Amino acid sequence: MSLELRSVGWNAGFKKIISDVSLRVTRGEFLGVIGPNGSGKTSMMSVLGGIRAPSTGQALLGDQPMKKIGRRNLARHIGFVEQQADTIDRITVRDAVALGRTPYLSLLTPWSGHDDAIVCEALASVEMGPFADRMWHTLSGGEKQRVHIARALTQQPDFLLLDEPTNHLDIHHQLGLLELVRALPVTVVAALHDLNHAAMFCDRIAMMDGGKLIALGTPEQILTSQNLRDVFGVAADIEIDDQGRCHIRYHAGNQKSLAIKKDRVA
Amino acid sequence: MINHDKRVLAVGVFAAGLISSVSFASATEYPLSIENCGTVLQFDAAPERVVSLGQSTTEILYSLGLADKVKGTGVWFGPVMDEFRDVNASVPRLADNDPGFETVVAQKPQLVATQYQWHVGPKGTVGTTEQFSELSIPVYTAPADCVGKDNAGGGDGVRHEGFTMDLIYREISDLAQIFDVEDRGEELIATLKERQANSLERVTASGHDNVSAVFWFSSPEINSDPYVAGKNGAAGYIAGKLSVRNIIDSNEEWPTVGWETIARANPDIIVIGKMGRRRFPADDWQVKMDFLKTDPVASQMKAVRNGNIVVMDAQSMDPTIRLINGIETLAEAVERLSASN
Amino acid sequence: MFETSPVQQPVQPPGQSLAGRAYLVRAGVSIGALVLLVGVIAMAAAKGETHIPLGTVLQTIANHLWQAGYDVDPIDAGIIWNYRISRAMVAAACGASLALSGAVLQALLRNSLADPYLLGISAGASTGAVSVAILGFGAGMVSLSLGAFVGALVAFGFVALLAIPAGRGAGAIILAGVAGSQLFNALTSFIVTKAATADEARGVMFWLLGNLSGVRWPDVYLALPVAIIGLLVCLWYSRALDAFTFGVESAASLGVPVRRVYVVLIAIAASMTAVMVSIVGAIGFVGLVIPHAARFFVGTRHGFLLPASALIGAVFLVAADIVSRIILDGQVLPIGVITALIGAPAFAIILCHGRVLR
Repeated sequence: MSLELRSVGWNAGFKKIISDVSLRVTRGEFLGVIGPNGSGKTSMMSVLGGIRAPSTGQALLGDQPMKKIGRRNLARHIGFVEQQADTIDRITVRDAVALGRTPYLSLLTPWSGHDDAIVCEALASVEMGPFADRMWHTLSGGEKQRVHIARALTQQPDFLLLDEPTNHLDIHHQLGLLELVRALPVTVVAALHDLNHAAMFCDRIAMMDGGKLIALGTPEQILTSQNLRDVFGVAADIEIDDQGRCHIRYHAGNQKSLAIKKDRVA
Repeated sequence: MINHDKRVLAVGVFAAGLISSVSFASATEYPLSIENCGTVLQFDAAPERVVSLGQSTTEILYSLGLADKVKGTGVWFGPVMDEFRDVNASVPRLADNDPGFETVVAQKPQLVATQYQWHVGPKGTVGTTEQFSELSIPVYTAPADCVGKDNAGGGDGVRHEGFTMDLIYREISDLAQIFDVEDRGEELIATLKERQANSLERVTASGHDNVSAVFWFSSPEINSDPYVAGKNGAAGYIAGKLSVRNIIDSNEEWPTVGWETIARANPDIIVIGKMGRRRFPADDWQVKMDFLKTDPVASQMKAVRNGNIVVMDAQSMDPTIRLINGIETLAEAVERLSASN
Repeated sequence: MFETSPVQQPVQPPGQSLAGRAYLVRAGVSIGALVLLVGVIAMAAAKGETHIPLGTVLQTIANHLWQAGYDVDPIDAGIIWNYRISRAMVAAACGASLALSGAVLQALLRNSLADPYLLGISAGASTGAVSVAILGFGAGMVSLSLGAFVGALVAFGFVALLAIPAGRGAGAIILAGVAGSQLFNALTSFIVTKAATADEARGVMFWLLGNLSGVRWPDVYLALPVAIIGLLVCLWYSRALDAFTFGVESAASLGVPVRRVYVVLIAIAASMTAVMVSIVGAIGFVGLVIPHAARFFVGTRHGFLLPASALIGAVFLVAADIVSRIILDGQVLPIGVITALIGAPAFAIILCHGRVLR
């Protein structure tokens, strides 16, 4: 099963948010999506996840256009975790996770023990089992994110799409979450803003800027001083350790680079 | 304008007139001060131009033969009385409902006569009394709308003292005095009193016993609670004069009372209003009749079963000069009822 | 260090007995609620402007239900069966519809203060009603109800059209609804102040505050099916409504056809509300407060919340109607006054009990 974008563009009104993005997600990989603010990461993720229809081009799941597959079917293959989803409803953690079974339930197939088991399994894999009967609003930011992931997991997806999942977490939870996600038996596409995290966890990285996918490759290929300067406007050195992993060393005093970056913005 | 001698003579005659009986017709002495609704109106001469806002007031002016002095009319509730159709045709109608202030003033009236304070009064929709007095235009309000009545609450108002025909007679004699046609005024009043007396006689002769009635004006929705006549209004007066018991006990002019209450009270006669207005479907008397015959509860009332439903001109149920018609109609109905028993 | 461990022994799902007991409790509550509804309708038959002995009431009901053949005064029988019982049934249908619409809109628009009138319906109904009663549209052939219904639909259409360029999201709909309501309310005020005579204005305003006095059996044949069909359609979408818990995008990612759900449910809510408003006028507070009360008792799962809202709404409005008829001697208060007088403090109590959150 593959997940692919072919020359996809998406417009908000007359404004082109992303254009001509082509991308094929390999099975089992952890693909990171990076780019400065306003580069179109979230919009690209929405189209990739089947939430939005592309204005131009095609989004395909398993080589079939998503349009033909249908929302419900898509939901059984792709789990999407938004940047920040919250609710003021008084629900339990279990209820929140159980929502993920929606694509499988209908009048003829109501809730059953099988669904209960899947919910429990998902809670366990994000290590939130003991929290099952807690109220949603009593959870911390990190715990809420894990519950979101658990919900996506109950969809039993082939692909898990995460839009900046670590935004509101402290460093302990940021790393913990990414570790957890990497260990899951699903293909992951995650929009990340911390480049070192991208370096640590991703098999491949897609770099976006100004609504275009400007580079796609391994962390070593993408995370170069040149790219960091041109796209992100920061000065940094890249260190590669014995295991072949990148570490980015940022330089302080970025004013000059900001000027460079400013010129490049369309 | 009047020199000193004439004024002395006028005062002398006026004083003489006061001492003797008020009811012999004499020419009006000017300047005239006449009390009306808590104010005093002053006239130096009979007005030549009057604007009349209110069908009843207009019809009184016509009855007094003053149609040529009426330069504009407004606030009509239905077609004018048959006998005045021709004279009314040549009188400019400013509006079917209430005209604007400037429209009225453009007729350069020397008097504005209004039937309801709702139109010209402390909070009049056409204009306030002050607005007119600023232009030195006196406003005559029908006594029926201010004597013993509280209009401050808006709407049709609440009547604390029962309405009587004397209020209409007073309007007739006031206007007759203002326009210096007192003889015609007295004639008119005498005719009306005679008709009323005749009706009373008919009813007493019929030997009826404890007849009850309800007066139904209209309803916002045909099934919902109807507007029925309270005990102090014109309809209540008609009932009282003919010794008919009005089943409604409210002080309001036209309160809404539920059909449940009316049906339980089970009046002998139901009077339904006939009018030209078409705002609510129930304005049409036939719609009201249909309701009475088809509603599962109303159709069980004895008045409906025995066919004692009286169709009456709605303006006869209101404090207008047509009230006498109302008295005659109801007297007839009571006669019929007693005859059939 | 945070370690991922191999899949552990899953936490024991709630035992069959626990789930079974929950179902029993819920079944018991439902039956209890239905009994309560029947009871309050019976009470509405027995209480009213005029006093009718309880024996007569029971005999009348027996006569109609199984031809018992008691000798009852036809006027009394007519009042009980044709006035009071039909009125109670319409009150129940209306209460259920308004509460249901409120619950659905609160879920779709993600807003605890949403109520069915948000879509401009009561404002449009009032404009339609005054157009008929005061401007004379329809020249006396058109009833207030029909005018109100048309007005409601026109206003709703206006709001829907306004919401489209505004972005079509929940926020856009709410803003469009507020704008539309303000516009039509202003139109109503304009017509009333400019053109009304005293009794015209009074008649219409009283009707608009909520008036069950004109209700007869034909109204029941309209209101009851509308309420039942509305309930069934909304129940069909109860899982979809649950999916909106975390927002529209979340619902889309769970496979819910968001656009279709919005269109169908908003159309259903608008239709139910328009029909009810045209029959009984604009009764406030029911659509806003009852869903919160229902959440208090049964939680937020829409499979339970929707029927609970409908039932509680029905009982509430029948009870409010009874109160409006007996609280003042010989006079009937507009039912909208009663619902507000009860609804506002009830809302405050619900807020204070910490169940602020939905």
